[in-house]
Amino acid sequence: MTSIPLEYFLIVAAALFLVGTVGFLLRRNLLVLLMSIELMLNSVNLTLVAYNRVHTDSHTGQIFTFFVIAIAAAEAAVGLAIVLAFFRVRKSVRSDEADLLRN
Amino acid sequence: MEAHLAATGPLASLQNQFPASSFSLLAVVLLLPALGAFVNGVFGKRLGKKGVRLMALSAIGGSFLASLLTFLMLPRGEAAEEGARLTWNAWHWFSITGRMQQSIPIDVSFAVDGLNATMMLVVTGVGFLIHLYSSEYMKKDESYHRFFSYLNLFCFSMLVLIMADNLALLFVGWEGVGMCSYLLIGFWFGENKNATAGRKAFIVNRIGDFGLLVAMSMLVYYLGTLRFSGIEVGASNLLAPVKIWPIGNLSADTLPTWIAAVIIPKQPVMVYASTLVGLAVFLGCAGKSAQIPLYIWLPDAMAGPTPVSALIHAATMVTAGVYLVARMSAVFLLSPAAMATVAVVGAATALFAASIGLFQRDLKKVLAYSTVSQLGFMFIGVGVGAFASGFFHVFTHAFFKACLFLGAGSVIHAMHARIHDTDRSQDMRNMGGLGKYLPITRATFLISCLAIAGVPPLAGFWSKDEILWKAFSNEITGPRGVANLTPWAWPTWLGPAIYWVGIVAATMTAFYMFRAYFLTFHGEFRGWTIVAGWKDPRAGHHHDDEHHDEEEKAIEGPTPHESPLAMTIPLMVLAAFAAFAGFLNAELIHVAPLGHLLEPVFKATGATIHEREGAKGMEMMMLVPGLLAFVVGGGAAAYVYLKSNGAQEKSFAKSFPRLYQLIYEKWRIDELYEATVIGMVDALADIFQMADTWIVDGVIAKLSSAIVGAAGTVLRAFQTGKVQAYSASMVIGLAGIGWFLVRPHAVTSIDDTKLRQTGEVVVSASPGFGYSYKWEGPGIVAATDFSAAREIKIPLQPGDKKEVVLQVRNAFNGVDKQTITVSRPGKKGAGVAPGNAPPAAEPPPEGKIVIPGDQLPALIRGHQ
Repeated sequence: MTSIPLEYFLIVAAALFLVGTVGFLLRRNLLVLLMSIELMLNSVNLTLVAYNRVHTDSHTGQIFTFFVIAIAAAEAAVGLAIVLAFFRVRKSVRSDEADLLRN
Repeated sequence: MEAHLAATGPLASLQNQFPASSFSLLAVVLLLPALGAFVNGVFGKRLGKKGVRLMALSAIGGSFLASLLTFLMLPRGEAAEEGARLTWNAWHWFSITGRMQQSIPIDVSFAVDGLNATMMLVVTGVGFLIHLYSSEYMKKDESYHRFFSYLNLFCFSMLVLIMADNLALLFVGWEGVGMCSYLLIGFWFGENKNATAGRKAFIVNRIGDFGLLVAMSMLVYYLGTLRFSGIEVGASNLLAPVKIWPIGNLSADTLPTWIAAVIIPKQPVMVYASTLVGLAVFLGCAGKSAQIPLYIWLPDAMAGPTPVSALIHAATMVTAGVYLVARMSAVFLLSPAAMATVAVVGAATALFAASIGLFQRDLKKVLAYSTVSQLGFMFIGVGVGAFASGFFHVFTHAFFKACLFLGAGSVIHAMHARIHDTDRSQDMRNMGGLGKYLPITRATFLISCLAIAGVPPLAGFWSKDEILWKAFSNEITGPRGVANLTPWAWPTWLGPAIYWVGIVAATMTAFYMFRAYFLTFHGEFRGWTIVAGWKDPRAGHHHDDEHHDEEEKAIEGPTPHESPLAMTIPLMVLAAFAAFAGFLNAELIHVAPLGHLLEPVFKATGATIHEREGAKGMEMMMLVPGLLAFVVGGGAAAYVYLKSNGAQEKSFAKSFPRLYQLIYEKWRIDELYEATVIGMVDALADIFQMADTWIVDGVIAKLSSAIVGAAGTVLRAFQTGKVQAYSASMVIGLAGIGWFLVRPHAVTSIDDTKLRQTGEVVVSASPGFGYSYKWEGPGIVAATDFSAAREIKIPLQPGDKKEVVLQVRNAFNGVDKQTITVSRPGKKGAGVAPGNAPPAAEPPPEGKIVIPGDQLPALIRGHQ
């Protein structure tokens, strides 16, 4: 059984990362922004795991992925809490309305 | 033999516990007051007055007991004569480098000999009595804990000052007592007058401290040590001549002729370093011990609470200057000129301050000027080489002056029953006849007055007379002239002149002390009409000036009352010492245990101080003027103030109103300083203030604020507050970094440090992720492909010039290329005409660096 080549994973990961980046830059909904961040993180996870498939002598890539998942969970929790708090203040979840410090 | 005796008995076990070379009992002496200051300062408010009192009293009392033990354990007999002391090195503080590049350790270490052991007893003993007295005197003060915290802190600093075994540590204590003095003078800082007095004391002392710092630097320079024992041993190194004028490299050649003719002498002015060190030390001492011209702070310092005046400004701190001169006796003995300065300034101060004291109306002011005057006597003592006598006067003065101040405090305490204003309650015109209401105060005050006036056999007689006799009889020859510089010698008239000035000052002392005594305790009471059983209609309120007007009129008040026991016990103890302490050094009748104790400390004195030929056998005869001084001064005071109720003073004031006013206004010295020194400083401050407003604020600040403002305006445009804008810039930045990392970069550095030895330069390329290198050029073993060889060696003969091509390939197969040219100049004169500058390097073509070999070191260094 032939395995899927490394490049395929990398291309998918790059595409995911690009989608995440563009989404983060262009969308204004804070919830979508959080999701974009998750996309980027997961593309990195995919890269790490893919490389680990090639370099089988250690499992650093996979272990690192777990760390990223854990951090992402924490980040999502904090991020959602911020979004919630922000919604209470502004009655909105649009990122361009989060400019209290500016004005 | 005696050392043997001391080692038996109960002290023996203690002596094993605390060997003389590591005498850590001193830590107890020091740390108890420090602990008291800390506890009272931090927790004092919660402890309550009783707790504060217990803490402060037990701290200073324990310190006294430890000092007493220290005193008993002093080395005796032969050991003492060889200069044995109790030493304790707490820790190494820092090191400095001397002029021979030697390392000079400055340690936090303490050494105790007869001189400072006696001082320790005075400071802790008198300190304890004054603490006890204050615990009652300050009872109604809200800042009770603050007061005792300061007082304990003062004792700690003073102990550091006197126990230090080097000048640097002494300076720590010196500044510490200065600070505590400032804090305590301004203790009631609510009134502007008190705060100003505190500031004045601090600033005037700073002027003196400058002298002390200069002295320390000179000692480090000439002797390479600040330890007193080291100064004693190496003092003769101070006999180095120093040119003081013309200063630096100022010479007749650099100045216009007419100026040079005036200010440049034919022979440069040379003095011994010992004279400079002595004068600088004395400047410090004059500040701390209130001598002309720096005495002006002490009378103002009476703004502090009276026990403070007793402890700091009479008994202990102000004597630190005398102590320091005595401690540095080895230096002063090498400079008759410095000693003459000390003695003459002392005599002038004694006379001058006594004259101001004659007509002061404030009881504490009289005592203040008396203190200044007595300090003058002490400086006469140490100035004429009678260090033991000068120090003995410190010792006796501590008792009778502390007693006088505390007595004055007791009187003021009684006056406060009705008169609450500070100035009016201390004014002797409001007192009189208090003797019958305050019997203990009166008796102790009288004893101390007799002691200070020099009535035999009270303490003041022995010490003052000893000083005056030594001033009359000592002949100071100074060291033998070395280095072609004859030392200045005392003229023969100077000693007797100082003696007679001292006699006049002593007469005045007797007069003003008894004037104060009679005005306070005899005659009719002038403060208020005494009504038995009088009750304050506004009971429970403290002194303030609201009802000042009411007090101006004739008022009624209660019977003045004697102070409570906690205040009278210290008075009685101090009066007892004032009466009998003189026998500790009564050289006239050959009873001088204190003198024997101090002998080893001042053993260098014998070499240059002798009894004058003409003065032999006149000791008893020269007593007579001293006794007459008391009879005349005291008798005049009794005649004027006891018999004729001050009529003569009033007629004197009437016939010479301006002279009387001048004396009363302290010869207007404060006004003189105001007009000269302070005026100059003010003018300087005005100039700086103008520079500050116009240059610093007007130009520099405005300009920099404009630049920052403009930058801010530009940068503000980017500060949108939009998350996406920030993250977009982040993405762009990251993309830029990524692009840089993807591209290969051929960057080289050249190392030619080995060129002279091996004839090769080493060219190396910067490392990078996944890089491989390919070198091409003449003399290089042809490398056909990229390899990991990051550096190559290129052999260069003089005159050679070689071109090397480097190619760098990275993980993405990108290739960068760089051409380096290295060259080595030929032998001198081969190609370049001598004297000509080497031709400027041509600007390197694109992607090609030409570095001539001889410029390489400079280039590389410039890069680093």
